[in-house]
Amino acid sequence: MLFNSLTFVAFFAVVLTLHNAPLPWKVKKTNLLLASYLFYAAWNPPFVILLWLSTIVDWHVAKKIYATDAKARRRAWVAVSMVVNLGLLGYFKYGGFLLENWQAIMSSIGVTWTAPGWDIVLPVGISFYTFQTMAYSLDVYLRRAKPADSLLDFALFVTFFPQLVAGPIVRPTQLIPQFKEPVRASRDQLLWGFGLITLGLFQKIVIADGALAPAADAVYGAAAAVPFSDAWLGTLAFAGQIFSDFAGYSTAAIGIALCLGFSLPDNFRFPYAAIGFSDFWRRWHISLSTWLRDYLYIPLGGNRKGWHRTQVNLMVTMLLGGLWHGAAWTFVVWGGLHGLYLGVERFIRERWGDAKVASTAGFRLFLALLTYFLVNITWVFFRAQSFGQAWGLTRSMLGLGAGDGVLVLSTYLVVTVLVVTIGMLAVHWFMRNRRLEDVVAATPWWLTGIVWAGMLFLIVITQGSGDAFIYFQF
Amino acid sequence: MRWPRVAIVAAVLAVAGLGAWEAYWRVAQQYEASYRNSDGQWAEARRRVDRSEPNATVFIGSSRTQFDIDLDVWEEETGVHGIQLALEGSNAIPILTHIADDEDFSGLLVVGITPPLVFLPGIGLRADAVPHYYDETPSQWLGNKLSYPLETRLAFYNIDTKLFTVLARQSWWPERPGLPWQQPEVRKIENMRRDRQADLWDRVENDPEFNASVTGTWQEILENLPPPPPPEVAQAAFEALLEQVAADVAKIRARGGEVVFIRPPSSDWFREFERQASPREMVWESIVGAAGAVGVHSEDYPELSDVRTPEWSHISAQDKTGWTRALVRILRERMAEQGIQRPEMGT
Repeated sequence: MLFNSLTFVAFFAVVLTLHNAPLPWKVKKTNLLLASYLFYAAWNPPFVILLWLSTIVDWHVAKKIYATDAKARRRAWVAVSMVVNLGLLGYFKYGGFLLENWQAIMSSIGVTWTAPGWDIVLPVGISFYTFQTMAYSLDVYLRRAKPADSLLDFALFVTFFPQLVAGPIVRPTQLIPQFKEPVRASRDQLLWGFGLITLGLFQKIVIADGALAPAADAVYGAAAAVPFSDAWLGTLAFAGQIFSDFAGYSTAAIGIALCLGFSLPDNFRFPYAAIGFSDFWRRWHISLSTWLRDYLYIPLGGNRKGWHRTQVNLMVTMLLGGLWHGAAWTFVVWGGLHGLYLGVERFIRERWGDAKVASTAGFRLFLALLTYFLVNITWVFFRAQSFGQAWGLTRSMLGLGAGDGVLVLSTYLVVTVLVVTIGMLAVHWFMRNRRLEDVVAATPWWLTGIVWAGMLFLIVITQGSGDAFIYFQF
Repeated sequence: MRWPRVAIVAAVLAVAGLGAWEAYWRVAQQYEASYRNSDGQWAEARRRVDRSEPNATVFIGSSRTQFDIDLDVWEEETGVHGIQLALEGSNAIPILTHIADDEDFSGLLVVGITPPLVFLPGIGLRADAVPHYYDETPSQWLGNKLSYPLETRLAFYNIDTKLFTVLARQSWWPERPGLPWQQPEVRKIENMRRDRQADLWDRVENDPEFNASVTGTWQEILENLPPPPPPEVAQAAFEALLEQVAADVAKIRARGGEVVFIRPPSSDWFREFERQASPREMVWESIVGAAGAVGVHSEDYPELSDVRTPEWSHISAQDKTGWTRALVRILRERMAEQGIQRPEMGT
C-alpha cells in the first residue's frame, strides 16, 4: 500500500480511529500488528509469510543467544539469523544476479552453461525489514540489548507499517521500548504529524513525480546519446527526484508514526548542503549509513587497525552498501565511488584539514558545491540501466561526449529542473544547521498555515499517478 | 506554535483553493466530472470476461470502437450489455491475441480496426493496461474503487487537468532550438462512463478553437510518424500479423466463440491520410480475409458512413445511437448470410 494512494487514506483513517478508541493497550497493539500485515499484504498477500518467518526466527534466535554464555553457541545462533535473513534476501533479490554472473564466469573459461530463468518477484521492502530484524539478533549477540519481553512487541517492531517497506531502518532499542506503555499522540503531536505527512507527500507527489521525474525519465530513457546540457539536467533532475522521493517517504513515515504517538528517527538532514562525503553520509539515509557503520564497518575494524585497513573497510562497507540498493554492478560502482570519495576525503582531511582556508565561508560553499557535483556523478551509475549508458552520460557531463547528442528536454522541462534544483539547494543550504521543528516554531502561525495549505492544494491538483516510491524496489 | 489555528487556516485555504480550481475547470473550461479511463477501470471490465460472463460480447479496438458504439443501444438491440475493452491509441491485434488466449472466453468478439494503428509494434499508448490486469494489487483494486466517487464528482480530477500537464502545454514556453519533434499531448475529448463507454465531448463539436486544436494534434502526430521499415521487412511483419489474426480467430471459434471485424468511420484529412498510408485493399481486406470472418466497413453502408465526426476520427455523441443500431442490424444480416449462429445477435 502506497502512502500516496486513496487506499492508504482510508486505511490510516481506520487505524487512527481504532488507536484512539477506548481499548486496552494490548488490543491496540494487536490492531497495529494486524494493520501492518494488511498494509504489506495489500501488495502481495503471500509475502506476509516472509515477515512471519523473519519474526519467528529472530525471536527465537535472540532468546537462545541471550540464554547462553558459550561463545560457540552464541555464534551458531546468530549465524542462523544471518543465514535466514540474508538467505531470503539472496534468494529473492540476488538470485538472478548471481546466476547471471556465474554464467558469465563459466562462459569466460569456455564452459557453455545457460542459467535457468529466475522469474522471481521481489518482495517489496525486503532489504529494509531483513536488516531491521538482523539488527535485533546482532544487538543481542553483541550484548547491546536484551531480547524483547513480548512476542507481540517484537512482531510489531519487525512489521510496524509506517517504516516497514522503506525505512527509516529502526533499531530495536529505539522502537520496542515505545510499545511497552500505552501511547497516544497529543493534539499538537497529531497536528505536527499531519504536517509531516503533508510535507512528505508534497516532496513525493509534487517535486519528485510531478516536477522532476519527467526530465529524468526522458534523459535516462533516451534512445540516443544526449548532449552536455541534457545529460546534466537529467541527472540534476534525478538527484532531486530521488531525494524528494525517499526523504518524502521518510518524512511521511515519521509523521504517520507520530500521529499514532510513536517516534521514529530522522533519516535525512538536507544532504545536498553536505560539505564532504562523511558529512553527506551523516545526512543521507542516516538509518542505513549508521546500520552499515555499526554492523559492518566497526566489526570489520573501523579505523582502529591502521590507515590502509581503514581505507579497505570503508571501501568494503560502501561496496556492500551499493549492492544493498540493487542486484546490479552499476549499484556496486555507485557504492565504490562513494567509498573512493570517502577515502580521498579522509586523506585530504588528515593532511590539510587544519588549513586556514578550510574554515572560510567561501571555501566551504565551494566544497559543498564540489560535493554536490561529485554526488551527481554517482547518481548516473545509480540511475543508468547499463554501464554503456552510464559511461555515455558521464562523458557528456564531463564535456567529453562526441558533441552530436540529441536534445530531449523541452524548454518547460529545462526551466522546471533548473528552478526546482536551485530552490532545493537554497533550502538545503538554509537548513544545513537548522532543524525543521525550530524553523517552523520561529515562523508566524498564519504563514505556517498558508504554506501548509499551499502544499495540500498542490498535492491534490498535481493528481499523483500513484507511482511507487523508488526505494521500495530495494 | 498554535497548531489548531495553523491547521484551521491550512484546511480553510486548501478547501478554498480547491473550490476555486474546480470552479475554473467547470465554468471557464466547461469540464464535466467523468471517469478517468484508468488501467484499473480497464482491468475491472476485463475481469467480467473471467468471472461471470464467459459468453459476453466484448469490444476491442482503438478509441473509435470505444466512442462510436453505444452500449445501451447495443443492449436494447441484442439484450447483452457488451464489455468495452477498446483502448485509445492502441492496436487491437495484441488484445485479440490476449482474449484468444483466455480459455474463459467463448462469446462474441467485435474487433474495431483503425488501419494506421495495426502497424504499431505492440499495443501502443495503453500498453500498461494488460499488465495491470494481471498484476493489480489488492491496494490498487481498492484505490480504484475509492477513486470512482471522486472521478464522477470533481471535474478537475482528470488526467487532462493535472498541474504539470497543464503547465507543460502552455504556449508561453518558447521552442528550444535544436529539439527534435515531440509528440503533442492528446487533450481530453470525451466523457467516460463506468462501463468504459466514451462519448465525444460537446466542446470538441461546439468550440471551433478547441476542435481545431484536436484536429491539429491528429495531423501533427500522423505527419510525424516514424518512416516505415523497408518494404520486405514491412511485408514480413504484416504477413506475421495476418497469421496471428487467423490463429487467434481459430482459437476463439474452437471454443464456440465468434469474431467479427468493424471499421468505424473517419473523415476529412484523417480519412485521406488513412487511404494513402494504409489502403483498404491492403490492410482491411487482408485482415478480414485472413480471419475468414464477417467484416463491416463503414464506407460500404451509407447509414454507417453518413455520420458526423467532428474531429475527423470519432462519431458525434448524438449520432452514435443511430450508428450502433445500424451496425447491429448489418452485422446480423452479414452473420446470417454466412450462417453464423449467435444467440446474442439473434442469428
